[in-house]
Amino acid sequence: MNTKTSLREVEKRTYMSYHQDGLLDIFVGVYVLSFASGILLLTLTDFSTWFVIPAIFPAIMVPIWISAKRRITMPRIGYVKFGGRGANKLTAIFIGLMVAGLGAFMAFTFASESQAWALTLRNLIISNGMIIIGISAAAISSLFAYTMGLNRLYAYGLLALVLFSAGHFITIPFGYFLLTIGLVIIINGFALLMRFIRKYPLSQGDETNVEKSR
Amino acid sequence: MSKNPANLKTIDRLIHEPSRLMIMTQLYVVESADFLFLQHQLQMTPGNLSAHLSKLETAGYVEIVKEFIERKPHTALQLTKKGRSAFKEYQQNLRQVFSDLPK
Repeated sequence: MNTKTSLREVEKRTYMSYHQDGLLDIFVGVYVLSFASGILLLTLTDFSTWFVIPAIFPAIMVPIWISAKRRITMPRIGYVKFGGRGANKLTAIFIGLMVAGLGAFMAFTFASESQAWALTLRNLIISNGMIIIGISAAAISSLFAYTMGLNRLYAYGLLALVLFSAGHFITIPFGYFLLTIGLVIIINGFALLMRFIRKYPLSQGDETNVEKSR
Repeated sequence: MSKNPANLKTIDRLIHEPSRLMIMTQLYVVESADFLFLQHQLQMTPGNLSAHLSKLETAGYVEIVKEFIERKPHTALQLTKKGRSAFKEYQQNLRQVFSDLPK
């Protein structure tokens, strides 16, 4: 008997169950769209402070997401607070990715000014930028898919890989690729939300107070 | 049979019951969950879940946490420290029992 595996399975099932409502997908999709709109504004209108859009997005969307969770998900399947190992692992992955990305970027920037190999590598990265972005997006998406047990994140990663790799050969502004990915994720999110609402209709007596159930 | 049947006596019978084991496992991997979530997740009837929770609460393994979410009272369930350590001990003891079995 492998208790670690079965506990991990229970943890994954819990994440899957709590995120079956599609709200996470809608949230992520809109975030990708905010990047896309910012970059497209920069491309089409030379809006140089484009990064303001994705930067302020979480401040607007996180309260909306939490509120939607409380109004749509909680009355239907109840409430769970993730803490301890699972949540810590996700936070560690997120912070680790941010630090690794920033560290690699800074180290590379410094190195490319003096080191010939770094300059060659930089040129290689720039010339294959779309493929590298695609691979990175797929890798990050897969990492979260594996940790959270949400298999649809693998599909999103694959979509990003295919679209960005196609972008290496097709000359279309980068923002349009992001726009496509964001829209696909949002549409899937709404489809999941509709399925969730149909599967768990609100009924009299559905409440989250343990004492009333006794 | 185990080489040392005494190991079986170390198994916590309160946790060993399948429904309670499911409840303990579910609560072990999260910080807290409410009644409705447990009911959906474990596919148990309200009466059955309630009865098992009462036993776990009496043993001091599960506690009821009252909190407010958007100014509405909400009741969540979580494992106590005693419950967490009892679950870990149960895991170790069960592993021991199986490792003692001849291959």
